[in-house]
Amino acid sequence: MFRKIAVAAGLLAAAIAGPAQAQDYPEKPIEFIVPWGPGGGSDTLMRIVAMGLAKESGQAVPVINMPGVGGTVGLAEFAKRPADGYTVSQVHEGLLIANGTGITDLNWDSFMPIALVTSSPQYLTLSKNDNFSNFEEMVAYAKENPGAVRAGVTLAGVPHLHMAMIEDAYGIEFSYVGYEGTGQRIRALVGGNIDVAIGDVSSAGQFVENGDLIFAAVGMPERTTDAPDVPTFKELGHDLDLAVTRGVVLPKDTPQDVADALEAHLEKVMQNEDVRTKITNVGSAPVFLGQDEYKAYLGNLSETVDRLIGKLAG
Amino acid sequence: MLDAFLAGAHQVFAFDTLIYMLIGSIAGIVAAAIPGFTVTMAIILTLPLTFTMDPLQGVSVMLSVYVGGYTGGLISAALLGIPGTPSSVATTFDAYPMARKGEPGRALSLGVWSSFFGTVISTIVLVLAAPPLALIAVKLGPWEYFSLIVFALTIVASLVGNSLMRGLIAGVIGLGIATIGPDPMMGRPRLTFDSDILLPGLPFLVVLIGIFAISQLMSEVEDHGKKDASGALIPDVIEFKTWSVMREVLMRPINLVRSSLVGVFIGALPGAGGSIANLLAYDQAKRSSKKPEEFGKGTPDGVIASEAGNSATAGGGLIPMIALGIPGSAVDAILMAALMVHGISVGPRLIMDNADLAYGMFVAMVVASLMMLVVCVLSMRLFLRVTDIPKQFIVPTVMICCVIGAFALNNRVTDLYLLGAIGLVGYGLKSLDYPLAPLVLGVILGPIAETNLRRALMSDGDWTVFFTRPISAVLLAAALLSVIFSVRSVLKMRKKDRPTTDEQDGD
Repeated sequence: MFRKIAVAAGLLAAAIAGPAQAQDYPEKPIEFIVPWGPGGGSDTLMRIVAMGLAKESGQAVPVINMPGVGGTVGLAEFAKRPADGYTVSQVHEGLLIANGTGITDLNWDSFMPIALVTSSPQYLTLSKNDNFSNFEEMVAYAKENPGAVRAGVTLAGVPHLHMAMIEDAYGIEFSYVGYEGTGQRIRALVGGNIDVAIGDVSSAGQFVENGDLIFAAVGMPERTTDAPDVPTFKELGHDLDLAVTRGVVLPKDTPQDVADALEAHLEKVMQNEDVRTKITNVGSAPVFLGQDEYKAYLGNLSETVDRLIGKLAG
Repeated sequence: MLDAFLAGAHQVFAFDTLIYMLIGSIAGIVAAAIPGFTVTMAIILTLPLTFTMDPLQGVSVMLSVYVGGYTGGLISAALLGIPGTPSSVATTFDAYPMARKGEPGRALSLGVWSSFFGTVISTIVLVLAAPPLALIAVKLGPWEYFSLIVFALTIVASLVGNSLMRGLIAGVIGLGIATIGPDPMMGRPRLTFDSDILLPGLPFLVVLIGIFAISQLMSEVEDHGKKDASGALIPDVIEFKTWSVMREVLMRPINLVRSSLVGVFIGALPGAGGSIANLLAYDQAKRSSKKPEEFGKGTPDGVIASEAGNSATAGGGLIPMIALGIPGSAVDAILMAALMVHGISVGPRLIMDNADLAYGMFVAMVVASLMMLVVCVLSMRLFLRVTDIPKQFIVPTVMICCVIGAFALNNRVTDLYLLGAIGLVGYGLKSLDYPLAPLVLGVILGPIAETNLRRALMSDGDWTVFFTRPISAVLLAAALLSVIFSVRSVLKMRKKDRPTTDEQDGD
């Protein structure tokens, strides 16, 4: 009986309040579409963010993996979802590249960027070999022997873009070998089947510590605390920003007040110590850029991708 | 080392850890027993729960799901003729005929014991030889992988059934199916005809469920009314003979150990896994058997090979993960993520920096396999009750599970249309007496072969590298021998059966 009254009161309140107001958001579970498979970087990081968001907002945030075609299948599905704030998704550099190489018509501006939440610094990683053991030697060797340095990348993926940025800046030429995912590349690098690859602390850090691999340079504005001895590209002559940055997006045309409410929630999530520690633990860095800054960031990134896309399409 | 071992064991034997592991074990078995639901799915559901546990506790629970999952697949394989997971395809070949002949209890017991011993053998190899084996696995380049897959493709000959020609056609159809969708290197769409349904390709699990489950269920419907009045799938003689079956398994030590080692080896290779190991172990058992003609008709050797082979990949997959921090399978990648969230970096220094964790995982593997054994032995009677349920209830129920499972895989509605279409194709092929296993093998192996061939040629344009790298050359030679062996045995069989066999079948 009491329950019935409560329900009736709830319905009445809802009727008076009319359409969902931003201060009520979220009033039901938010689906988080991760357009990549379970166990990968996007999945692990977004599960941490989703866990924080659930705690912060008081609503469940179930993660739904929709992998396929370089993250574009899940985003295509996401784009069709109602723009009410109850379905969110994630993008990173991969989407801009997939758009540039013609795999998808979707681009970052097909969505409403809400907040950049994580940034994973990427390192140029060298195998142990007889020809070079640091960045300068690698560049010198590659200049003398164009195409002799075998670079493991995800073809037409983020690591490919990063390698193309290095080629472009230092005027060298790699020959590319396609691998799927960071784990595979690092394995091939340890096994000596390739010479250079983009790696990160979580996948390659211990091999570097052990002396099996070498971090030659890091694509961050400043040296990282994880690997303080590794020089930045800036120190090596070219200011390259090689990071995989992941942000939360909403479908286009979501009401602005809902977007603002989600942004505010995410800002608090990214201040949560537990969330920050877990993100750092998996080798990434917690960051927060709100809607306007994130849009500007993606706009800049898009220009870089457009400039280098020719190198990736082949 | 003993300190670390005891510290790890101490954590695993905590009361709450054991309770969580028991729940995990049951969850793994049930998830794998339902066609369409996979171990990976069960582990993903466990992942967020482990965020709040201690690292070793969380991993122990996931390992018990994992070990349970490699066994659970045999239940539907034996009782329904539908592989519960990709790893139990070969289990259907002999366990199902055995169950149909009135020995479902024996088929299940055989599978459970073989799984148990397979897991234990793989754990022993893991403890003793993880670092050197992992180093070998990591040195293998694309050349070796390609040659290994060429060798694995030759086992189609063991799976062809009545007609070599139809078996080969099925294998080629499988290879063809695998080329639909984004190409594995560049992500460019192939053979998709601009259709949204085909754009993501045909996911392996959807093909597996469609080919095996849907076609099997349709034949059940077709057979309805022809059989005994009860409508049950299997005559109701229930005898487990748990202990005599254990002896039966142990009386075949060569098959058991060989199949387990095949599983360990395949598991240790990143990218391969249980779905290949069970077929490879089955093939090896059939070839070295004195009575190969009994395979496929309900021989215990077939069940043992498949189940020991797939369960041993659990320990095998942990070899590169514990020794080098390189996941051997999707499940291992999720295990690694669970550790990393707790701030434990998984890499070549794991055994040094977190010895208690590494040894604790070994202990957890053994505990998990014991739990699997206890749960299975105690609940087997319950599983067998499935066979008492009339077909008109069980067929739609299993069908619904298949549909849910196929959807839950990628959360794509279009996968369901594919499932229906593939199910019809599978049913058609089955009705025309085409063997289905070669088709599935083609779907599994095709992309791995293509990726590694292209990768090899991108690394070095020279074709002769395939013959100059020693391991690759050995594998190619093994493939050649395997083909010669198969052709010879087919010719021999044909000579023997000449009066009774339809001549046009094999040509």
